[in-house]
Amino acid sequence: MSPVNLSTQFAGITLRNPILTCSGTYGFGEEYAAYCPPEALGGITLKGITPLPRLGNPVPRLAETPAGLLNAVGLENPGLEEFLKSYLPKVQKLPTAAIANISGFSLEDYVLLARALQKDSGLAALEVNISCPNVKHGGMHFGTDPQSAQEVIAAVKAETDLPVIAKLSPNVTDIVGMARAVQLGGADALSLINTLLGMHIDINQQRPVLANTFGGLSGPAIRPVAVRMVWQVFQAVDLPIIGMGGITTWQDAVEFMLAGATAVSIGTGNFINPQAPLEILQGIQDYCEKRGLASVHDLVGLAHRA
Amino acid sequence: MLTEGQVVVHESLGDEEQRLRRLVLKGPIARTAQAGQFVAIQVQDSSISSFDPLLRRPISIAGISSERDEITLLYRIQGRGTEILARAKCGDKLSVMGPLGKGFSLPEKGELWLVAGGIGIFPLYPLAHRALTQGLTVRLFWGGENKSFLESAGLSSWKALGIPLHLSTLDGSLGQKGLVTGQAQELLEKSSAASGGHIRAAACGPKKMMQAVTELCKNYKVSVEVSLEERMGCAVGACLGCVCTLIDEAGVLIHKKVCQDGPVFRGEEVVWDESC
Repeated sequence: MSPVNLSTQFAGITLRNPILTCSGTYGFGEEYAAYCPPEALGGITLKGITPLPRLGNPVPRLAETPAGLLNAVGLENPGLEEFLKSYLPKVQKLPTAAIANISGFSLEDYVLLARALQKDSGLAALEVNISCPNVKHGGMHFGTDPQSAQEVIAAVKAETDLPVIAKLSPNVTDIVGMARAVQLGGADALSLINTLLGMHIDINQQRPVLANTFGGLSGPAIRPVAVRMVWQVFQAVDLPIIGMGGITTWQDAVEFMLAGATAVSIGTGNFINPQAPLEILQGIQDYCEKRGLASVHDLVGLAHRA
Repeated sequence: MLTEGQVVVHESLGDEEQRLRRLVLKGPIARTAQAGQFVAIQVQDSSISSFDPLLRRPISIAGISSERDEITLLYRIQGRGTEILARAKCGDKLSVMGPLGKGFSLPEKGELWLVAGGIGIFPLYPLAHRALTQGLTVRLFWGGENKSFLESAGLSSWKALGIPLHLSTLDGSLGQKGLVTGQAQELLEKSSAASGGHIRAAACGPKKMMQAVTELCKNYKVSVEVSLEERMGCAVGACLGCVCTLIDEAGVLIHKKVCQDGPVFRGEEVVWDESC
């Protein structure tokens, strides 16, 4: 049997396989290197950056829930200048595709970041976080109002020659409407989904567990919501989708691809099993072989046939 | 390193009321582990996937035997994760990441004062061991709730080390009644003329206790290392879930990751105010 073609191309991005890691769960690419060789991954999506350094939220920043994890890190990051100086040179040496992730509090923030990150910086793409739920007046506003979302993506598109991926928030009534809006703004691809806003109260202390009160829910608990949104957007909008939200096994990844994801991204799953990306890739490959599929891309949207 | 640790001993430690457990795992972690480091352990048998709890549990390494390829973890059952971990049987294999983080450092010579509050005693035992092997003078200040706790949590193995022990309990049932810092202060007061530079302290316990120890050490110009605790996500420095606030040499507040940059930090650099 001929080996399955794993290479994944979309929106001008070429990956050696469809496995990515989610922004904010994989640092700047080196933290997990001892557990999962970066060269085995399709790519790494870097921790989100903002124009200025941010200390983020106070602790506790994490709270476990059944099959889920709430986080309220609050976009702690070294800021653009320090990213370019200290982190980008290391990112450029990573033996895999690197996707930068940018966040802002105003249109100008996004413009500033996009202007600084171009193809010649060695990045594969720019993921625009318009959906961070954990900072006041944060990206969330851009992620829940279609008009604002379109504007911010258009502004980023105008500044960078990198492919632009819009990372959408699930905290909306109409995910298809949001996807259409960023498509109008010129997005080249979509990341679906960011975390779902939630909270957890300590009944002994009678107060919220997270210092920030609310946090973004990730992990297997949100997977059905994410699969549903990938499915809906795949049907309605002609843009490649990176599927994410609670993927921990190859079966989960296959489910996302069948729903319409061209690539998949592992986030919280890395915390449970730092070798999850390797096992997921192997599982997808075996699945394709068993099903007689020549290319992993043949899986994309297959569940929509009937 | 991600390994499967085989359970070779898993037993109750002392009085069952204390809910303490001793877990010995066989695996290569012992070869490189240092006192003060920890492991991130999957509490359920890794062949069955379960997502409640979702995350691994960080547990400090309480014993290192590189000859036998064994590490010892001592823990208290106090939540869902440790409840499930407590069910692991001899022969079971548990997925373990580690050794993780940066442990305690040791001075080349002089005196090492260990200051422990409650189960904060556990990571200090391998440190005492190493310090004694290196020929340092070691003494222990240890405070706990009561006699039953101290005896359950390994008092006899500390006695076997033959070092001076300064014990305190909240109810006075063993040692001096009161907090662990009281005894340390008394001795510092007595020896302050001679002391200063040659004493180094290492503390582990509740945050307030470590803060008090740090302040005490500062007053007597004793350098102290503390082992911090925070809710962890990835345990490798990727998710920024477990940051602590430090003050750098320029007086600027910075964040460090307890899992990767710590858990051991110099006491004087830690900002103890919880609102940071």
